[in-house]
Amino acid sequence: MAVFKEVTSVASILMPIGENWTVSRCRYRSNDGAPGRLCIATGIHGDERMGQLIVYDVAQRIQKEPHHLHGTVDVYPMLNPLGLDLNERTVPSGNRLDMNRAFPGSPVGTALESICYHLIEDMKGADLALDIHSSSQVTSELYAVRLHEKTADMMIPGAAALCPELMWVVPDKAAYNASLTGALTQEGVRAAVLMVDERRMDTQRTADQVVDGIFCKMKAMGLWSGETVTAPAADQIPCMREQTDACRITCTRPGMYVPVERIGTHVSAGDVLGTIIDALHGDPLENVTASESGLVFSQRRYSAVYPGTLIARLCRKERA
Amino acid sequence: MKKDILFTVPSYFRDDMNIMGYRFGKGEKSCVVLGALRGDEVQQLYVCARLVSFLREVERDGGIMPGKSVMVVPTAVGLSMNAGSRLWAPENTDINRCFPGDLNGSTTERIAGALFEKLKAYKYGVQLTSFYQKGSFVPHVRMMETGRQNPELGCEFGLPYVYVRTPRISDQTTLNYCWQQADTQAYSLYAGKTQEIDEAAADQTLRAIVRFLNGRGVIRSEQTPGQTASVITNEDILTVTSKASGLLRRVKHAGAHVRRGEQLAFIINPLDGSVREVLKTPATGMLFFIQDGPFVTEHSPVFQVLSN
Repeated sequence: MAVFKEVTSVASILMPIGENWTVSRCRYRSNDGAPGRLCIATGIHGDERMGQLIVYDVAQRIQKEPHHLHGTVDVYPMLNPLGLDLNERTVPSGNRLDMNRAFPGSPVGTALESICYHLIEDMKGADLALDIHSSSQVTSELYAVRLHEKTADMMIPGAAALCPELMWVVPDKAAYNASLTGALTQEGVRAAVLMVDERRMDTQRTADQVVDGIFCKMKAMGLWSGETVTAPAADQIPCMREQTDACRITCTRPGMYVPVERIGTHVSAGDVLGTIIDALHGDPLENVTASESGLVFSQRRYSAVYPGTLIARLCRKERA
Repeated sequence: MKKDILFTVPSYFRDDMNIMGYRFGKGEKSCVVLGALRGDEVQQLYVCARLVSFLREVERDGGIMPGKSVMVVPTAVGLSMNAGSRLWAPENTDINRCFPGDLNGSTTERIAGALFEKLKAYKYGVQLTSFYQKGSFVPHVRMMETGRQNPELGCEFGLPYVYVRTPRISDQTTLNYCWQQADTQAYSLYAGKTQEIDEAAADQTLRAIVRFLNGRGVIRSEQTPGQTASVITNEDILTVTSKASGLLRRVKHAGAHVRRGEQLAFIINPLDGSVREVLKTPATGMLFFIQDGPFVTEHSPVFQVLSN
């Protein structure tokens, strides 16, 4: 059975000189009339590219085994193509705004607001929306699912099917509500951020891990009948439901941070996470240590730092 | 005049960045004026520099009222201004999207947090700010509708308009919004340009602040009469949005009075010079905002018309 495949422009803005800023969607739909719908968006930040490979691999698997698809999968591979070209997080026009702070947008607003509005309109009605982000260039992270506080109770059991290394509930505050997943949540769409580190290990291996999780979730939703990995039970995945479940480790001195690789390991209070060095005087300035025990789920890479720069995040909760 | 270091950001290979506050008078923390929160807010910095110079003379002449004090913070982002970056350079973040801040958070959050701790102690807060789009406004006072706003006091700046705007979700992390939540009467002043000095608009903004400080009994100085202000809201503003893209040739400028149907600008094909769209005003009124970049995309709010 062939799968219906269609590329559509869901939003488009004419640029001054012979170009459109287009947000394209590729729809894969089974011919059996199954009603489920999954949306996967990537590339809100132009310097985050992991989602490209992930949605490519999802598309490849669907096209190789189309008879296993039962419903609709919509992929939106790149929302900020100008940013991709310049390797820039923000939308590189006007005052360089963060697209993930411009939702839900407006039909009568700026070009950016119009794009955001039409994207939300297009994703409404989905059973699940996933927004794939990559870690910043100076941060190493475990593969995490981030959920909105409002929908956490409802979504945590099912989110385990995405096979994350960690789940994190984001508080209901202004900055998050202006994001794609925040705005979709306000519209009643179940939405989650997948935070994927494109530099921590081999790129394809990282993508495989996330793609396996997506198909596992699709199977749980009845969208996929093919073979998948076995998802861990929700209570086996570290989960931070409260802000106090995460611990921030910051540095106090400016300099170059030289990490001791701890990502994905459990540390005890006093364990060294790295050293701040002063290359001019040839002196070490500060040993950054864990203030308590926990799982290191985020750690800064070798880079310049200021007082207050986040060095690592520890998860205090080992289980959901 | 006292010079206070409000917060210091130590740096690795650059000099430490000190956020300076210039304080005049003693006693009640009456009014604070903040200039640049972004690295390209040159006009905002300039107005503050002139205000410090002016208040120094007022203080020398005994014009700061007993028991009152005023502080001017010309910039919180000297490091970004020197590097030519609008955003907070080390973290590529917008400080005016990080309030009320966090003293134990990231560098950006620490700057916002430390500033907010100092600024929220003042009765009146004046921020010289820039718009999220590039363009020019008719100078005006702006505040968000939080239920705590006081537009009547805003009229004391003597600028022609006091604009009360419904906040969007993303506005809740701005200084103006958080100030109001902390019971400081907060006013944002739009001082014409951002990335360059506009002398006429700077004069007008400076005179407005001086008028407000006199009106609130913080200083006693010579002042010029202001205008009778009109309080306006979102509903009074009509937006003229482009349907085409291309080069923008304006024929009207901010402050111009226009009649319904009058031509405001031409959008021109950048390659062959043909006219793609003629922008016209949908109502009789005054041009409140104009986008002033050379290019325009489709769906750009190019003009805001304050309808009669």
